[in-house]
Amino acid sequence: MPPSLETLWLVPALPLLAASLGALTPRGGRRFSAGVAIAAMAGALLLSCLALRAALLDPSAHLVHNFRWFDLGNGAVELGWLLDPLSALMCVMVSLVGLLIFIFSLGYMCEDENFTRFFCFMSLFAAAMLGVVIANSLLLLFISWELVGLASYLLIGFWFHKPAAAAAAKKAFITTRIGDLGLLLGLVWLYDSTGSLLLYDGGNGVLEAGVLGNLGTMALAGGLAVPTAISLLIFCGAAGKSGQFPLHVWLPDAMEGPTPVSALIHAATMVAAGVFLIARVFPLISYDQALAADPLHALTVVAAIGAVTALLGAAIATAQSDLKRVLAFSTISQLGYMMLALGVGSWVAAIFHLLTHAFFKALLFLAAGSVIHAAHHEQDIRRLGGLGRTMRTTYATFAVGMMALSGVPFLFSGFWSKEAVLHAASEWAVSQLPLYAGLVGVVLTAFYMTRLLCEVFWGPARSPEAAHARENTGVITVPLVILAIGSVGLGFLGTPAWPWLESALTGRPVAPRSLLEGGGLMALSIVLVAAGLGAGWALYGRKVRVSADAKDPFSAAAPRLFGFLGARMRLDELYAATLGRLNTLGAALADFMDRWVWGGAVGFLALLGEFTGSVNSEVDESGLNAGFNSASERIRGAGRAYSGAQSGDAQGYLRTVAVAFVVLALLVLLGGGR
Amino acid sequence: MSPDYAGLFRALGPEAALVVGALAVLGLDLTLFRRHSLGERLRLALWVGSLAVLAAGVHVWRGGAPGPVFGAVLMLDPLAVATRFGVLVLTLLTLGVARSSTAQRQPAEYVALILFAATGLILMAAAQQLLLVFLALELASLSLYVIAGFDRNRPETAEAALKYFLFGGIAAAFLLFGFSLIYGVTGSIELPQIAAQIAVQGANPLLLVALAMVLVAFGFKTAAAPFHLWAPDVYQGAPAPSAALVASASKLAGFTLFTRLLWPGLGAAAGSTASFNAGPGWLPAVAVIAAASLLLGNLVALAQTNLRRLLAYSAIAHSGAMLLGVMAAGRAGPAPLFYYASTYGLATVGAFGVICAAERGGRCEAISDLAGLYKRSPFLAGCLAVFILSLAGIPPLAGFFGKFTVFAAALRLGGVAAPAGSLAILAIALSAVALYYYLIVLKQALVAKPTAGAQPIKVAPATALALFAAAGLIVWFGLFPAELLGLF
Repeated sequence: MPPSLETLWLVPALPLLAASLGALTPRGGRRFSAGVAIAAMAGALLLSCLALRAALLDPSAHLVHNFRWFDLGNGAVELGWLLDPLSALMCVMVSLVGLLIFIFSLGYMCEDENFTRFFCFMSLFAAAMLGVVIANSLLLLFISWELVGLASYLLIGFWFHKPAAAAAAKKAFITTRIGDLGLLLGLVWLYDSTGSLLLYDGGNGVLEAGVLGNLGTMALAGGLAVPTAISLLIFCGAAGKSGQFPLHVWLPDAMEGPTPVSALIHAATMVAAGVFLIARVFPLISYDQALAADPLHALTVVAAIGAVTALLGAAIATAQSDLKRVLAFSTISQLGYMMLALGVGSWVAAIFHLLTHAFFKALLFLAAGSVIHAAHHEQDIRRLGGLGRTMRTTYATFAVGMMALSGVPFLFSGFWSKEAVLHAASEWAVSQLPLYAGLVGVVLTAFYMTRLLCEVFWGPARSPEAAHARENTGVITVPLVILAIGSVGLGFLGTPAWPWLESALTGRPVAPRSLLEGGGLMALSIVLVAAGLGAGWALYGRKVRVSADAKDPFSAAAPRLFGFLGARMRLDELYAATLGRLNTLGAALADFMDRWVWGGAVGFLALLGEFTGSVNSEVDESGLNAGFNSASERIRGAGRAYSGAQSGDAQGYLRTVAVAFVVLALLVLLGGGR
Repeated sequence: MSPDYAGLFRALGPEAALVVGALAVLGLDLTLFRRHSLGERLRLALWVGSLAVLAAGVHVWRGGAPGPVFGAVLMLDPLAVATRFGVLVLTLLTLGVARSSTAQRQPAEYVALILFAATGLILMAAAQQLLLVFLALELASLSLYVIAGFDRNRPETAEAALKYFLFGGIAAAFLLFGFSLIYGVTGSIELPQIAAQIAVQGANPLLLVALAMVLVAFGFKTAAAPFHLWAPDVYQGAPAPSAALVASASKLAGFTLFTRLLWPGLGAAAGSTASFNAGPGWLPAVAVIAAASLLLGNLVALAQTNLRRLLAYSAIAHSGAMLLGVMAAGRAGPAPLFYYASTYGLATVGAFGVICAAERGGRCEAISDLAGLYKRSPFLAGCLAVFILSLAGIPPLAGFFGKFTVFAAALRLGGVAAPAGSLAILAIALSAVALYYYLIVLKQALVAKPTAGAQPIKVAPATALALFAAAGLIVWFGLFPAELLGLF
């Protein structure tokens, strides 16, 4: 067993330790708490890098360390961790991005009185995500998964004195719990069918051919194969965490948390967990592809949901006026792309996009945080503006992130990963619809990012806050620069000409493709990006907004569409009107039943009980209790009587010994009752 | 066969370390530290003593291959090694408790005697030749007599020590007489040969009388009824650290010694475990002692108002339960018994440690003296809760699991109907009775209000560490019983 495998558990354990130390630190221990958190993340990063090196020695191997947690009946519950390029790459990404966000938070949260608690929760968040990443047991994964949910609840509601933050935290927790319920059901079902929750276990793991083969022979009444059903349940959990339609509604509201939290949620942790989960159990999810009789393939559902989400997120993002909300919807859209890639069968493209997206989205959020910090928590883009002149580093890095997200060709990582996704979609045999959705999404993405850039950084400052904004200190800008470098450089890990990432993740050598293969698609998407950028520039760049009250050009052109998108397609209202009302109705019904029907029955029984009780009490008091009391008194009396034998008279004691010896000798000689 | 002196030397490394440590304590105290204050001399003695115990622990750890040593004088089996460790840990905790001991006029002598006692106890754990058994027992006993009477300011201490000594002397006489009869019957003083001889001869009356004599000494050493009479007086009168050692390490070593004597040595004369009507043997006698201890210990404890006397009677009751473990050891092995005895030792040392620490802040004799301990020292109150609840057998503490394994082993001997099974049922029923008096102690410590003018108690760091370690070990072994049970 290589040493990196043995120490892999330390990767989540270090931040967890930092979290527990932080929890024990009093409010005043700001330096200590932050220092421990950052040191733990740095340690986790170091260990992750070592683990990555070890994993790349033999990329096709799944190194596992399993151990028995406890025995249950005849079976045993086993946990374990797993080292392969996927988990190692994710570890490196989570710990690196997390580390940069932690450092950024030093500057961003410096005025908060609960600084210590913040770092405690952030460490817990990172630890939980790292636990998800290295888990080799779906049970351990689920435990970490729930911890992710808990930590997100704590962090989104970090400013719980704001009602909006408290509500957003609750919304995030409950919405993702709905998905988690599906995940839990899937896991229970899987355990019931296979008797194991280990992913890889020397041939007995649920992702390995033998177990999957057995699972594939089972089918439900409607002809649906059991693997498909389990996969769909697992996908419910992934959809909840990764903000897929229709469970995406929590993600924009999660903006109520501090900006570093948003960055962590949107880049490294939480939303990445869903995509990662599907990529991790890809052998299980994709197993039903081979079953021709199966009426529905799980991946088809994944692709459809991904395509819808990609399009929906991008469309809504065009009409938002809150800086962080635009980014939030863009995250939803990009997660849709990742799910789309998974659905069309290319989990490598999904992970590639996940990694690049982690960098540029963290960059965009942190840059947004830098703006918000400088502009005294003003985050309405109509009231910002003109920051390009005063905040040059933030502007430059934001522009890099914006171009990466829009997919500006060749230099930026987002371009390559998005190309990989689109290329995979174009090769999907089932349908071309996801590809079309993706292509439309490309235009929209370039459009809304251009709008965002123009509104925030160009033109005149449209509020006193924006006018007074100054560039932040190095603790905030340096992480931006590092992330910007990553947002550019990371793309070259997976270009068609040098597909290192694919060969590293799959463990198979992959031949480089020439640019000409699929070049038509690439050219098309470049044209679309250019169209989006151009449209954005035409609407927002050519004539920059001058005052906060000026009407949005898009809104002027199509007020009803803008209003519809601005209200997030009224999905929240739809949910409130349908599911929410159903819930209220159910609750009222349950209340009625409780109060009158069951309550009446219980009340009657209580009366009956009271009656029997009073009869019983009579019997008890005068009969049993008196008997028990006298028995207890007799026991105590016996104690006192024996105690009296302890006279303190040594001669008496020794006489007792002599008598006892004689009795014993007789007893031994006679052998009991014989 | 030439005697294996090198092996003997290695096997006796722990004893050597303790003796050297004891002499070093005395020597340093008489020379370099003669003019220092009592407190400093006590601190030095405890430091050196603790180092000696640790060195002995290292020797036990690195002791040679398991098996008989020097012919068959010593037996280093897992039970011996585990008991040696247990005794050393309990001794170390006792030393930590002794830091808080009041009225020490001769600290170095006190610590040296504790070390000598520990030497005897760890020798008892491994001895399997009758002569060595007796010597080890006497070394331990004589040291314990002295430390039991060490506090010369209190007359009841002298009384306790005298009673302990008289009782011990009688018990030793019985034991020696019993050994000489065994030698006369079997012609050997080494347990393996004795066992072989008894297997050939069968049980003759003379041997059975010898057995009864051995049982008298056993009963004395483990404070089992009706040989318990010394225990309440000694527990009450002796200085708290002495009482802690008598109640814990000495008991653990005693159980190991007599289990070794009774099963591998005299197992052929045990009689049947399933039914006592099958033939003569020592099992019926042990069963009667166990039943008497369980009943007497638990019932009399109800009537106690003195905390230490209460602990004494609870010790008698626990001895009864451990005797069940002895009866079961033939089939189930010594693991349940060892688990019970060692975790019981931890809880008792801890309880006496709390008493000792509390004595520094005022009187601590009656149970009501504990009133409001949670206000006066939350740490002591918390530790006391762990110890008392473990003694009462509340999960997840080690005391629960000890009771569980011992009773389960006893029930497996012949089901509920067999004598051992009915004893186990009796013990379970009496555990409910025991809960009453244990909770009275906790009620005083955790619920009752402090009496007016009661001062907060300051706990010496060494004592705090010892108490914390004891409580931690109890929780740890309660959560992970396999750590101890798996040793065998």
